[in-house]
Amino acid sequence: MRIRGLSRGQTVLRGVVLAVGAIAFLFPFYYMVIGSLQKSPDTTIAGAFPEAGNLTLSNYADINGRINLLQGLVNSGIFTGGVLLCTVVFGVLAGYSLAILQWRGRSATFALALLVQVIPFQLLIIPLYVLIARDYGLADNYLGMILPFAINSTAVIIFRQYFLQVPRELFEAARIDGAGEFRLLWRVALPLVRPALVTVVLLTFIGPWNEFLWPFLITKESSMQPLAVSLANYISNVAATASNPFGAVLSGAVVLAAPVVVLFIAFQRYFISTDIGSSVKG
Amino acid sequence: MSATDTIRPAGGARASGRPGHGGGERRLKHPLHLRVFGRNPLGWLFSAPYLVFVLGIFAYPLGFAVYMSFYDYFFAAPGAVVDRPFVGLDNYLQVFTDPKVLQSFGNVLVFLAINVPLTVVLSLLLATALNSVVHFRTFLRVSYYVPYVTASVAVVGVWLFLFSGNGLVNTLLGPLAPSPSWLVNSHLAMPTIALFVTWKQLGFYILLYLAALQNVPGELYESAATDGAGKVRSFFSVTVPGVRPATVLVLLLSTVIGANLFTEPYLLTGGGGPSGASASPVLVMYQQGIEQGHPGYAAAIGIVLVVFVLIIAWLQNRFAGGRD
Amino acid sequence: MQRRRWTTAAAAASLVALALTGCTNNGGASTKALSSHGPITIWYSNNEQEVAWGKAMVKAWNAAHPKETIKAQEVPAGKSTEEVIGAAITAGTTPCLVFNNLPAATGQFQKQGGLVDLSKFPGADKYIEARSGKAADQYKSSDGDFYQMPWKSNPVMIFYNKDIFKKAGLDPDHPKLSTYADFLATAKKITSSGAAKYAIYPAPTSEFFQPNFDFLPLYAAETKGTPLVEDDKSTIDSPAGKDVLQFWKTIYADGLAGKEPVQNDAFASGTSAMAIVGPWAIPVYKDINWGEVPVPTKDGMSADQIYTFPDAKNIGMYTSCKNQGTAWDVLKFATSQDQDGKLLETTGQMPIRSDLQTVYPDYFAKNPAYKEFASQAERTVDDPTGPNTIATLQALRDFYTKAVIAGDGDLDSQLKQASDKITQTWTAK
Repeated sequence: MRIRGLSRGQTVLRGVVLAVGAIAFLFPFYYMVIGSLQKSPDTTIAGAFPEAGNLTLSNYADINGRINLLQGLVNSGIFTGGVLLCTVVFGVLAGYSLAILQWRGRSATFALALLVQVIPFQLLIIPLYVLIARDYGLADNYLGMILPFAINSTAVIIFRQYFLQVPRELFEAARIDGAGEFRLLWRVALPLVRPALVTVVLLTFIGPWNEFLWPFLITKESSMQPLAVSLANYISNVAATASNPFGAVLSGAVVLAAPVVVLFIAFQRYFISTDIGSSVKG
Repeated sequence: MSATDTIRPAGGARASGRPGHGGGERRLKHPLHLRVFGRNPLGWLFSAPYLVFVLGIFAYPLGFAVYMSFYDYFFAAPGAVVDRPFVGLDNYLQVFTDPKVLQSFGNVLVFLAINVPLTVVLSLLLATALNSVVHFRTFLRVSYYVPYVTASVAVVGVWLFLFSGNGLVNTLLGPLAPSPSWLVNSHLAMPTIALFVTWKQLGFYILLYLAALQNVPGELYESAATDGAGKVRSFFSVTVPGVRPATVLVLLLSTVIGANLFTEPYLLTGGGGPSGASASPVLVMYQQGIEQGHPGYAAAIGIVLVVFVLIIAWLQNRFAGGRD
Repeated sequence: MQRRRWTTAAAAASLVALALTGCTNNGGASTKALSSHGPITIWYSNNEQEVAWGKAMVKAWNAAHPKETIKAQEVPAGKSTEEVIGAAITAGTTPCLVFNNLPAATGQFQKQGGLVDLSKFPGADKYIEARSGKAADQYKSSDGDFYQMPWKSNPVMIFYNKDIFKKAGLDPDHPKLSTYADFLATAKKITSSGAAKYAIYPAPTSEFFQPNFDFLPLYAAETKGTPLVEDDKSTIDSPAGKDVLQFWKTIYADGLAGKEPVQNDAFASGTSAMAIVGPWAIPVYKDINWGEVPVPTKDGMSADQIYTFPDAKNIGMYTSCKNQGTAWDVLKFATSQDQDGKLLETTGQMPIRSDLQTVYPDYFAKNPAYKEFASQAERTVDDPTGPNTIATLQALRDFYTKAVIAGDGDLDSQLKQASDKITQTWTAK
């Protein structure tokens, strides 16, 4: 939906500002890709530009030779997929009940979600490990990997916030029509918060995808380890022994980031056009 | 103010649903289940999985952390006979007298003072611009999202390259370049980290605002335009109030994430240098609790931090959040 | 989904029950475990060479002991190793043996009740002392027992880049680096000639283990083998301590070393002309024409007098191990003359053996570059072993980054404070 009354000059200015910003944001990624393709590291300013004689795919070949990328990808997929599924399903339910429904303990639950956010993970990590590895017996198990991340509290808070933004009359009207809460949630609320749903997917994805310490603690079987763990292991070894440690680190990071960027490109179009938004002509 | 009311008609409706608003007399007549569960007992059912999750996963470690903070605690092997005396409030007293901890709290305040306002303003402006752009939409959105998805190890390398003594930034600044350089300057290390984190996380907040902007009814812009409001005025009278719930969220999350700052000083300044000027409370907690084997003391630092953040969040909510 | 919810609910219920009963006491170090035999699990470091050695060792053992097989897994070589082991001790999920124990962390693991007292095995002290000689003493805990098996070291020396030295107009075959005055003069020549940006580049960051690669090797050399803490007291507030600190302070003040953290290896990229590392780095620097000398001392010493930091990794046996008898046998097998030889061959790291050069003459004849390191391995000072080692090293590092690297304030008065702080940290309960 485009805001009206934007003069040509303003449109151009906006374009320029956005483009400059985009370059500032893209540069590190670009630099990472270039660095990962270099034979020998060049940390001077000239190193930020591709140089024909210094380009190679060997950094990637090294990774492929040392790590089972496919297995890592599958493990990452299971870990991240499990987290996403739980977060979306249970997060929507919790967010909806926190925003729309009146029940006792609602504010206490919201406070709890907030509290979980506020607590630094480093404070809990050892007791959490003891709980899950010893008491629940879930070491070397996908469930043990997923459990601490299963329902992202940020997602619950985000869902709540977006449900709050939906005009109340819509619900009142549907209730008067005799719709049950489940129907209300499914037919009225969910379509309206689709941008929030996409947001939650995109931000929840990052946590487990890049998480290193927890999956490593809980799994010692290398066949169970997600990509982030094997790549971090690879980086920690290779940084000490490769001919181009910088390139090795950067290529590892590219391999880790690439699927996320692809996912983002695939999903970002779902941001636009909701029922409310569509009433506005651009 | 009137704009707020036109956009958020929901406010009044919600207020009437608040507990205690239904009128005491009526509630007495309610059957037991209503008195126990409230008007929508389904809320319990919907929230149950989340509640079970939080209780099953976080209650024990958190309770344990509180317990530890009153002991000279350390983690021991199961069955090992060890002496872990009760020390009362000693750990807490130490938190408030340890110069390293106090410095780290000061550092994180500096961090928040830079990071939070910058995040809110930049992400709202960029999201608004991105939302209205027609060409290169995908490309632009991906660009802003990329730093957020990229692993810190890689991004940190780039940042070090940019901000080192003879890096790109200092080359561009020429004689204006600070000495000692950014990350080794005890006055500039924390602001530099704050800038870095703002930049890295901005994509996430832009996403939040983009989603929120989809829910601002377009009619409001049209009626604002009919009233003769220019672009700038409609931004302030329609967009800003329209996304206020998202602003509250961005404020809250950037504060919470900022207060838990750990990875960036750990990687960028190698553990809180120079002279502790970039140490964050979580970093000190990590050193004490996990590296040095004093989890009791670390737990006390952590709990003070949690209280500290909750106070800030409460203040923000009071002054910026209004009813939510 | 429904089923998962019930699982979680059941888990939560069992948790409540658990919280009520408190810590369950299951066993601990019983004497029965000491002599028990059966399959065991071990962890080794994940770097390529050590994995290769570890796999071969396990294969050799398993072939000969089908009823007491080893299952091996990798732990990270980097800074998260201690976190992983610490968490595993608490949960009782440690393996029997870890071939990657940081000596500085031993005291803490011991305090946690995680480590088996190796001296309880019959003949153990004798075995360890016979293998490692006098070097073994510094790995004893305060009760006089071994809670770690001294295993391998990477004694640090000064690597220098011969090409850069040549470019700076210095003699690449006889570098003047033995006294502080010579070292500083050489370093200044390197930077002023423009041959390299910095003379040397120790990590200027604040991690607790960094003193091991700048202050402590030179301090060990200057004091002819005095540890950081002796008789529960910090030793650094001494003329020797001041000399070493002043030396590094001059290096930083004159811009001979970088103060900023770097992402890549400054020596490998030619940013610095020297590095302070152990023999593990030899394969890393294969593209550089390098030479090595012992660390400098104030007035110079002959090479066979000089002490340094060993950068050792040891083997720990963990109390969660059920078949400790087998674990002890594997420990002895893995540190036998044969396996030590293979370790040396595959990794280039020095087994902590007193007779290194005489037992493996072929290796050192074939790889002369390693000879100096083998000789240096005989004179090392490791971090003291105690429950507060890491906190003590962190206190040292905090002082060092401020007073030496940043050069803030008066060195002498800060040294006195830091020395008191180190003593106090070391002796804290």
